[in-house]
Amino acid sequence: MPIEAHEARLNITWAGQNGDLPDPISYDAADGDVLQWASEAIRGGDVPGIDADPNVDLQDFVVDRFAAKDDQPNKILVRPKTPFGGRA
Amino acid sequence: MLESAVVLVRGENGAQVPLFWHLPEGRTVASLPDSRDLWSVLWEHRKNLVGVAHSHPGGGVPGPSYTDVTTFAAVEAGLGVRLNWWITSATHLIVARWVGPDRLSYEGTLIEEEPLWANLLRDFSEQMKKEREIHNAD
Repeated sequence: MPIEAHEARLNITWAGQNGDLPDPISYDAADGDVLQWASEAIRGGDVPGIDADPNVDLQDFVVDRFAAKDDQPNKILVRPKTPFGGRA
Repeated sequence: MLESAVVLVRGENGAQVPLFWHLPEGRTVASLPDSRDLWSVLWEHRKNLVGVAHSHPGGGVPGPSYTDVTTFAAVEAGLGVRLNWWITSATHLIVARWVGPDRLSYEGTLIEEEPLWANLLRDFSEQMKKEREIHNAD
């Protein structure tokens, strides 16, 4: 499916697997909505490359956005967060 | 001191081999920011990954912060594997591992015989502070 200028391909990483949602999403969608859509898609087995998981929990995952560049459309990645914080 | 981290992979004979020293812009004495680059390294090397070590300021037996354990849980969920999460202080090294039953139930174990990379991690944490002090003094 072609991706329009206001849309993005959603790429998700979960349980050692990675895949793109077949349908594009809005590039400006709120992070919370993106995480909700990603959760529902994994739960329903709608992401090629990622096994359906009824227990998916994307708490503490983040949303990375990459604007269209050259021939590549907008892309949104859902991945685990990676900050660390010690005692001050 | 500036907090630092290192990604460790499985080497020959099961040795822990430092793969990637994580010294990002924006780190402070007590924090490392979220990093796409770190995640990319973890994902790319997920099949040989042993864990991640990071430094905490001060001495004494360190323990994981809330930020730490939520990152541990998220990364393990993303990779689909459990990892070792070492933390150094100036004087001690622990390794935290998930023990369950809850998502954030991690328990630290003191490491008596430290691997070589532990002092290298401390050196990186201190060295960068010294370099910044020298730079600021110029």
